[in-house]
Parts: sequence; structure tokens; C-alpha cells
Amino acid sequence: MPRFSSSRALGLSALAIASALASPLAAQTTVDVAIVGEPDTFDPMMSTKDVVSIVTQHFVETLYTFDDSWSVVPLLAADMPQISEDGTVYTIPLREGVTFHDGSSMDSADVVASVKRWLDVATRGRSVADKVQSVEATGPHEVTITLSEAYSPLMSLLAFSNSAAAIYPEEILGDEIEQVVGTGPYKIEEHAPDQYLQLVRFDDYSQPVGGAEVREQSPDEIRFVPVPDPNTRVEGLLSGQFDFADGLPAESYDRIAESSTAEPLLLEPFGWPVFAINHKDGLLTDKTIRQAVQAALPIDDMLFAAFGDDKFFLVDGPMYPEGWAWRSEAGTENYNQNDTEKAASLLQEAGYDGTPLRILTSRQYEFHFKMAEVAKMALEAAGFNVDMMVVDWATLGQQRDDPAAWDIYITHSPFLPEPALTSLYFADSRLGWSNEEKDALMKEFTTETDPAKRQELFSEIQRVLFDDVGFIKIGGFNALQGKASDLEGVTASAWPSFWNAEIQQ
Amino acid sequence: MPRYLLRRFVGMIVVIFLVLTIAFVIVRLAPGDPAALMLGPDATPQDVTELRERLGLDRPIFVQYVAFVAGAVQGNLGESLFFNAPVTAVLAARAEPTIFLALFSLLFALVIATPIGIYAAYRRGSTLDQTSITSAMLAASVPSFLTGLIFQRYLATELGWFPVSGYGGPDAGFFERMRHLVLPSIVLGIVNSALILRFTRASMLDILGEDYVRTARAKGMTERRVVLRHALKNAGIPIITVVGLTFALLVSGAVVTERVFNLPGLGNLVVNAVLRRDYPVIQGTLIVVAALYVLVNLATDLLYLAVDKRVKV
Repeated sequence: MPRFSSSRALGLSALAIASALASPLAAQTTVDVAIVGEPDTFDPMMSTKDVVSIVTQHFVETLYTFDDSWSVVPLLAADMPQISEDGTVYTIPLREGVTFHDGSSMDSADVVASVKRWLDVATRGRSVADKVQSVEATGPHEVTITLSEAYSPLMSLLAFSNSAAAIYPEEILGDEIEQVVGTGPYKIEEHAPDQYLQLVRFDDYSQPVGGAEVREQSPDEIRFVPVPDPNTRVEGLLSGQFDFADGLPAESYDRIAESSTAEPLLLEPFGWPVFAINHKDGLLTDKTIRQAVQAALPIDDMLFAAFGDDKFFLVDGPMYPEGWAWRSEAGTENYNQNDTEKAASLLQEAGYDGTPLRILTSRQYEFHFKMAEVAKMALEAAGFNVDMMVVDWATLGQQRDDPAAWDIYITHSPFLPEPALTSLYFADSRLGWSNEEKDALMKEFTTETDPAKRQELFSEIQRVLFDDVGFIKIGGFNALQGKASDLEGVTASAWPSFWNAEIQQ
Repeated sequence: MPRYLLRRFVGMIVVIFLVLTIAFVIVRLAPGDPAALMLGPDATPQDVTELRERLGLDRPIFVQYVAFVAGAVQGNLGESLFFNAPVTAVLAARAEPTIFLALFSLLFALVIATPIGIYAAYRRGSTLDQTSITSAMLAASVPSFLTGLIFQRYLATELGWFPVSGYGGPDAGFFERMRHLVLPSIVLGIVNSALILRFTRASMLDILGEDYVRTARAKGMTERRVVLRHALKNAGIPIITVVGLTFALLVSGAVVTERVFNLPGLGNLVVNAVLRRDYPVIQGTLIVVAALYVLVNLATDLLYLAVDKRVKV
């Protein structure tokens, strides 16, 4: 066995120390992210869940995306599309040199096959499928989508990461995708169900051009850890086990703020709780009774009961918060009336016979249940006979598809960049809200391409929404996320991304 | 003995078949649709219907049952609707944390509870006896989720002595994974030590009052020999029963503890499967748990034979 001389050992040690000092950036960085649960799928076409979008946006990309101000910008496309004058033909140039994680290059055949699959299987793709005449490759790096009529939300639909028009290699496409292959800045390294999803940097990543955020690929690895218990996410964040935690309980805000290891991130505004109304069957097919419900609701009390601290909610009627282009005050005089007498009088006018008003809710989201509890008391004070149906989320998901089973169900949504992404406005949604004036306005809204005119039209839609009580927005609410104090490059978002995350030494 | 084992084996098959049938019926009686859950909040009824067809959930219940039983007989428990993988593989992947959690927590409970239980019985009415009874009552009364939250906050987050949750990352070796089980094992061990302590004490008290113990003392045996050789050996049978059942209970999924510490074990799996309405996983877990109970009972009975020669089969 060769002997190690002390001088040789010393030399090697010095070399090791020198290399370590010379390359401080060579240290492996891993960002650990606690998410609210295991994603149902890694194919973002197949799910409208936020947790799926959060994870998959790191390895699967779409033709377009949104920038910080929610404007649509190119991602896999090379530029914004050329749109024909009548708004029916979209010619989309594709970036060249984009590589899939399997090493193949993206071309128009992949895009055509992916968009066709999206139109066929994805919830949001299907919503526009009947207006799409053809999707064709008009060059090796050019795709043309032809519509039967102008449809202005198309670009938002192509850009949205939820039920996304994801681009895959043509070869892997089928009803189900066995192994997801994308073009994103990270690729899947290992997945242990209910334990972690390990993503590693994709070295052949090609950066977007034309306004989309640059994906710096700062961390070597991103690990998404499903942690269903919110308290465990808080403890994991505070102990340093996680660098970022999503979906934290409001009551943990002060503890995180006082901690030296972590910081709270308040996402304001995050979204809006909504009382979805059954227009297909039952009590609320009567407009006067719907107006009685709207008149009776004590919005302040409901939001306070639900969120407990005004840091986390906003009593705000318009469908979009301050600062958004879609903001309008139209119809909001009907918001937060809290008028028991008016509600009682409307009930009398409608000849209400005491038929139970069935409110379907769940404790999966505690704030849904708390809002329902307060609403129940107010509605009963106005003369309603209320039947609270508290079920688990799985049951609610099933029962809401049966119009005979409910009158109101409670849900929530993030503020989406384009109103037409919210299905509740459409007559063919599970609510079945059909109103001659609203339907005509929606038709005009979805075919109009001038942004200013679209804003005016949406304002009119909102006015009809309040008057006809299509559904009831309860208010705005904020979401709490948390990050380690030394984590930079990540901001609060409904779909936070980690490609620019850096851990400060 | 072979006839006894055969009889027990046949009984086991009957129990598992009954569990299999009951599990199949019960999970389908519960409302809720796995397809709707998988597709997310904005899925249309048409999307849900099509996914149900693809998952085979639209077939008549009886057809699904026959297919399930036929598969189970061949060791095939079906495919998880959520993971898109065989249920047996899903269960096998979750077995390690649950089995080691059960073993460690039982070991912790035995090491703590057995000597204290013996000593408390021997020194009946002493301060230690009173303290041990009170502590056992407290340990049994405080729910494990509360103990878990307190320990997690102070021992893991504040002091950093243990990992807060999980079972280690992709590069975690065996010892690192076991390190993640220390705190949950203590939490679970505390709850179970209360039961074992009380059983040990009660059993020893019975035995220490027996004539043959008095005779052993009259023959001049040392107290140590009387307690450990004569009394403990005879007090062993009820203790073995409790330990056996506790182990079966722990392996069937320490649901709350696994949830609080986010351990990817059978307990967490079954809770998630219920929330996701992953019927095959719920059924598979129940069958495995039933089989485990029967096997542990059998092992306990066989241990009786080893401990007490008077027991005949």
C-alpha cells in the first residue's frame, strides 16, 4: 500500500481548500417547497387544480404566458400572433432551437398535435373547441389556428397554466401521457408519491423572448414536498426544513412574522369566495328569491367570521380588485345590502312557501363553512328555511353536478386575468345561468377584440350579474404563503415559480 | 398443531373475504366521485363522465366486484386510480415507515412501561406507583395529535433536535430515514406505554397475590427471582395479548401521527385514499390490515404456547 507522506497530504488539503474558496458558487442549491398536497397529474392539460399548475409550470411550457401585469406574452412562440382583420385566423411563429427534455427539437408538428389534444381533452380547451375550425402547420416553425368566429379569450386560454395548452413531443401524445416530457427550465428527476418530486436543471433550456420573465435556473434542484397538514407546513418553514410553504393558515401570520428564520408573504388579493347559484333546478330559478338571498347576506360578518383578521379579507363588490383593467362599479349597489326587511319583503312577493334553501358546503376549506354558518342565520332571519348540507369535498364535487341536489354551493377562485376564463358566466356551466341580455353581452364580449370596448362590455355584464344574481361574489380574500428569510427571487403568487430562487449565504 | 394451523388459516381466508366484500360495498356507498376530484374545480360534467368511463367506474357495481374478487384471489388488488400504479406496489412503498414506526414506538413503550409496571405492582401504593398510574392516565388521555404538535413545535422547530416532518429526501439513506421516525415513535410510544404499563401492573398485582408466589418467598428465594422468574413469567400472557394487538393497531396505520409528521406510511395513505376516493387503495389497505390482524393474533396465540405449557391447541 503506498504511503501518504505528510507533505503530500498537506498539499492535497491546500488544493482542496483553494478549490473550495475559488468556487463558492459551485455549491449545490436546492429549494425545498412545501405544497398543499400531491398533484393529481403532471400533465397540466388534465387538471384545473392550482397545485398542478404550480408544479408543472417548471417543466412544461405553453405557447404564451402572462407577464407581471397579466398581459399575454410569448413563451414558446417567437412573437405575438398575426391576427386576421376579422379575428378568426391566428398565425403563430414558433421559437427555433427549443429542445424537449428527451433531446428532440420542438417544431410545428409537435405544437399542432399538442393543441389538438388540448382542444380534445382539456376542460379549457374544450370550452373553445367548437369555435376552432383547424389547427395547421403552415411552416416548420409556424402554426395557424383558424376559428369559425372571432374569440378574443383565445390568447388567455393559450397562456394559462391551468388546464394548460401544454406543448409536448408529438410522439408521446395519447389520451393519457405515460411520462411527461416538456421544454421547461427544469425536468423531472425522481418522484416518490406523497413524499417529493425532485426537479433538476435542464441544461439545454432555451430562454423565452419577447417579454416573458427570464428563467434564470438559479437553483440546481427544486423539490416539491406534499404536506397536506397546514400546521406541519408552518413548522417545516419555521424550522428551516422548507424554503417556501404554500397555503398557510391565517393564524400563523404573527408567528412567522416574529420568526428570525422565515417571513410571511401575503398574496393580496388572492381570490374571491363565491356562492354559486343553481339556475337549472329548484328554488333559485326564481329571480325574486335570488334577489332575496342577495339582499339578506351580511357580507362584513361573513368575511370576518371566515377570516378573522382584516389583513386577510376585503369587503369589495366589483368582480375585479383595484388596479385591474376589468374593475367596474356597475351594479355594486346591490352588494352587501344586509337588509333583512327587504329580503323578507322579496320573499313575500315571490310567494315563498318555506321550501328549504339547500346550501352545499364543505369543511375542506374552513372559511367556506364559516361563511355559510353566518349566511344561514341571516337567511333564516329573513324568513328562509335553510338546509345546510355539510359534506366532504369529494361529495361536494359529485353532488354539484346534480342540479336536483342543491340550491347554492360554496367555492372560491383566484382572480383570473381574463373574465372569460371563469366558467360561471357561461350558460353551459354547471350553474346554467342563462339570461338573454347577459348571453348577448357575453357573445359580444368574447368576439370583440378592442380592449377598451371589452372593458365596457364586461362592466355591463357585471351590472346584469348583480341585477339577475347570476352568482354572488362574497368579497376578496388574501392568501398567506411563507418563505425562508434567506430565500430571494420568489414572490407571492397564486402559482409561485422557483426558477429564479436564490438562497443567500 | 398442523390441524390447528390449518383451521386458523381457513378462518383467516373467511375473515379476509368478508372484509374484502364489506370494504368494497362501504367505499362505494360513500358519496363522492374520484373523477371529479382528479379533474379539479372547473371540470365540466362531461369531462367527469368521460374520466369515469376511462377509469371503469361507469361499469355496474356487480361487474366491478367480480373483477375485484377475481383479481384479489390472484394477488392483484387492482390499480390505484390516483397513482396509476398497482395497489400492491403502492402499499409496498408505504410499508417501511409504518412498520419501523410501529416497531420503534412499541419498543419505546415496552422499555418504559414494562419495568415501571412491574415495579409499581411490586411497590403497590408507593409514591412511584401513584405517580406511574397518574402519568399513565395522562398519557392515555392526551390525544396523540396534541402531543405530536407540542413535540413538533418545541423539540423539532424550536430546539432543532429532530426533523419536523417527512421521511427524508431523494438522497436520504436508511439511517436518515430512521432519524425522521424518532419523534413520531416517541409520541406514539407515550400513548401505548400507558396501556402497557397499566396492563403490566394489573397483571403483576394478580400474580403477586397468588399462593405459589408466597410459597416461593417461603422457600427463601430472593425477591428479584420471585418477581422476575415466577411472577413475570405468569403475568406475561395478558401482556403479550396487549402488545400483539397494539402492534397490529400500529402497523394498520398510526393515522394521526403519520398525518401530523407527514410520514408516507399506510395510515397517511389510507386517509389520502379516502379523501381522493381511491377505491382500490382503500380496499387493498383494508385487506392487508385484516390479514395483518389475523396473523398477529395467530402469532400471539403461538407465543402463549411458548410461554405457558398448560395452553393446549
